[in-house]
Amino acid sequence: MLSVLILVLLIGAALIGFSPSGINGKFARGVALVFASIAFLWTIVLAIQFHPGEITQQFAESVPWIDVLGLNYNLGIDGLSLPLLVLNALLTCIAIYSSDESLQRPKFYYSLILLLSAGVTGAFLAQDLLLFFLFYELELIPLYLLIAIWGGEKRGYAATKFLIYTAVSGILILASFLGMVWLSGSSSFALATLNPTTLPLATQLLLLGGILVGFGIKIPLVPFHTWLPDAHVEASTPISVLLAGVLLKLGTYGLLRFGMNLLPEAWAYVAPWLATWAVVSVLYGASCAIAQTDMKKMVAYSSIGHMGYVLLAAAASTPLSVLGAVMEMISHGLISAMLFLLVGVVYKKAGSRDLEVLQGLLNPERGMPVIGSLIVVGVMASAGIPGMLGFISEFIVFRGSFPVFPVQTLLSMIGTGLTAVYFLILLNRAFFGRLSAQVINLPRVYWSDRAPAAILAVLIVIFGIQPGWLARWTEPTITAMVNSQNVVVAVSLDKAMGAKD
Amino acid sequence: MVTIKNKAVHNPLAEYIERLQKGEALLPDNPENVLEVVGILKSYGVVLDAYSKNLNYIAEHQFLIFFPFFKYFNGEVSFQKLLRHWWHDRINFEYAEYCLKAMMWHGGGGLDAYLDTKEFKEKAQAVIAVKFKNNPFIPGINQLFPDFLTEHLRVSAYYTGLGQFWRVMADIFLSLSDLYDQGKIKSIPQVVEHIKAGLVANALNPITYAVKIRGEVYEIIPKSVGLTFLADTAIPYVEAVFFRGTPFHGTVSYNAQGYQIPPDQTRFQYGALYADPLPIGGAGIPPTLLMQDMRHYLPEYLHEIYRHSLRGEDDLRVQICMSFQKSMFCVTTATILGLMPYPLDTKDPNEEKGNRVYLEKWMSRLETSQLLDVNK
Repeated sequence: MLSVLILVLLIGAALIGFSPSGINGKFARGVALVFASIAFLWTIVLAIQFHPGEITQQFAESVPWIDVLGLNYNLGIDGLSLPLLVLNALLTCIAIYSSDESLQRPKFYYSLILLLSAGVTGAFLAQDLLLFFLFYELELIPLYLLIAIWGGEKRGYAATKFLIYTAVSGILILASFLGMVWLSGSSSFALATLNPTTLPLATQLLLLGGILVGFGIKIPLVPFHTWLPDAHVEASTPISVLLAGVLLKLGTYGLLRFGMNLLPEAWAYVAPWLATWAVVSVLYGASCAIAQTDMKKMVAYSSIGHMGYVLLAAAASTPLSVLGAVMEMISHGLISAMLFLLVGVVYKKAGSRDLEVLQGLLNPERGMPVIGSLIVVGVMASAGIPGMLGFISEFIVFRGSFPVFPVQTLLSMIGTGLTAVYFLILLNRAFFGRLSAQVINLPRVYWSDRAPAAILAVLIVIFGIQPGWLARWTEPTITAMVNSQNVVVAVSLDKAMGAKD
Repeated sequence: MVTIKNKAVHNPLAEYIERLQKGEALLPDNPENVLEVVGILKSYGVVLDAYSKNLNYIAEHQFLIFFPFFKYFNGEVSFQKLLRHWWHDRINFEYAEYCLKAMMWHGGGGLDAYLDTKEFKEKAQAVIAVKFKNNPFIPGINQLFPDFLTEHLRVSAYYTGLGQFWRVMADIFLSLSDLYDQGKIKSIPQVVEHIKAGLVANALNPITYAVKIRGEVYEIIPKSVGLTFLADTAIPYVEAVFFRGTPFHGTVSYNAQGYQIPPDQTRFQYGALYADPLPIGGAGIPPTLLMQDMRHYLPEYLHEIYRHSLRGEDDLRVQICMSFQKSMFCVTTATILGLMPYPLDTKDPNEEKGNRVYLEKWMSRLETSQLLDVNK
């Protein structure tokens, strides 16, 4: 069942890629949307059939692949990967729908988007370290091309920077994965058979270091973040949606799945430092966002800050905090995607994202009142206003992390206040007052421009009011994962105490 | 012999002075402007017709009523009309009252002067006495606060004054539209000439006010007072609504405590000719109300142009406002030309000089108006 998800996207990519050269952009988009929609509906079917109470991998598929390498085609879903799969499928549909009909080389573009989505889907499904790595690398190439070909003025620079950072990230992750398998004496990369907890703490720390930096680049965490604002600014709107909405989550997913879960002892050891690192990311991201005059860059820096919350929650490693981390991943995926979509509409219509140029866009007649109102919803959600998903996810993160890291949690909470500050600056400058002379003759905004963000806004409010509908898929898996981690940490602590005696 | 006219070189709007000296309008003459101006004046005419009927109804039937709940219903109260009123898909008669209050506030003209005379007060008191003849309470109140009910009738007098003025203007605009439909109006100067002719033809129409109480007619503004259409309602209206306006009833709110409003009302420049067509913030402010009313009665040829504009019907009210300002500059042109101290084609140098001084004064007032914008 799970392979179908990847195959549908790959078949779609191949079909569009090898179609006759004469097909127009609208047709290619339609075909891509059909395949992405099938994948999305399939994830919904999987979600309906998923049993939240079962903490083992569900719909598991296992096919031996290259025995010599210990590589197997193992797929499965649990409460951690399911919501991310659904998010990826939804945002892929939205990204395709939001793509410009008249863009150049549409066949190649839509093929790459479907390929990208297939890579991400595979990474979330993979239950084998090497398989995860292959999918993780698979999404790198389409994303590089999508930025390098259809990006803005400095797309070459941004894409190359992204490529270099992510390649380094890949090397570190691969090195850690190989270390985990080879040093623990395992004959396979399968997650189920892997047990690196037997390794000495120093070795575990070394391996965790590779994972932390590797996924830290992808998330991104300060100081490995500099590729992100450039990539966002140069990427087209749909690619920014996928980048912020899904691809950054590969990093946080990797941290939880392969860092916290596989190396719990080392994780517990470095947790206070991780929490401090999270605080630095949160405050640095928010401070940088305040200084921006480009709306897109502001939202990009906001992502850096928000990803810090996930690290804080993961560092605390309580069932509640890790649940908060997953909620924050989903929440950020929806909110940042929505904000990038809206900023994209502003840019498309006004020709600028510069807060020095834009003014009065909420004007009911000549501005973009609906787009402005949706941005108000988006920034309220991002700033953690009650009644929206952003609030509940941040609340769970803080509530779960506070007993373990009270100081770091309180400092991170300042980040929430700063989020309100920079987004109010954005709203005040771009949306209030009289329309500035440069944007007085804006073209019409259609419902097709508003619909994608409106859909996300509805989800943000629904899950904000009823977060249980989201948490129920994840909670049992997370609780089991954190409990088993705590057992390992407790046993190793006992061992250490015994050795001292 | 060649006559060389002195050019008004110091005025930043010298170009427009020259235009007026040549008998042209403040608005450029082209087919697009003609269509826009005539079309918008057609819808304005329909709205003014409704406003004037309501103003006259209020003056004649709702005077000295303290809680005139159904004053916008013109005597036809039904549940269906009430629902429509609450739903707000109706003529916003409130706009007419805003204009009335602006006129009252700024004053000027014979009507304003007459309402402060002893004669008016006597006639008002006579009407009050008859109206509340059988009421044991109100005459006592009237004795204690004699200005209270008199002021009510003063407002009623303004209702009828503006109602009678708009009655004439509505007919002028609707007949202009009819002539355009018949192909008889083809240029902006013709539009101006039609309006000017209408103003001149009705200039001496008497402005009177009488009310009927229990079958008896009581005059409040008799014909003998000598109030006339042009001098006593049209000019004060243009001054109050086109030029001065009210600082809080425009498209921009001003802060009086921040000294953003001149202390002298004559220096106000918040009228229709100065208004920013882009609304900022709250709905329901008068220009928005007028545009909302006019959009229901746009002629199809003008509506079609708006539909095919950059934003389609999304900014319909802004487009109406811009067209409306164009049309108001035509009405202003007609007023300026109609009030010229000397004939436009005079050869007398002194009269020419007098005309130029007169035009320069007008243009000085229009320096901060939307004149340059409507000419872009």
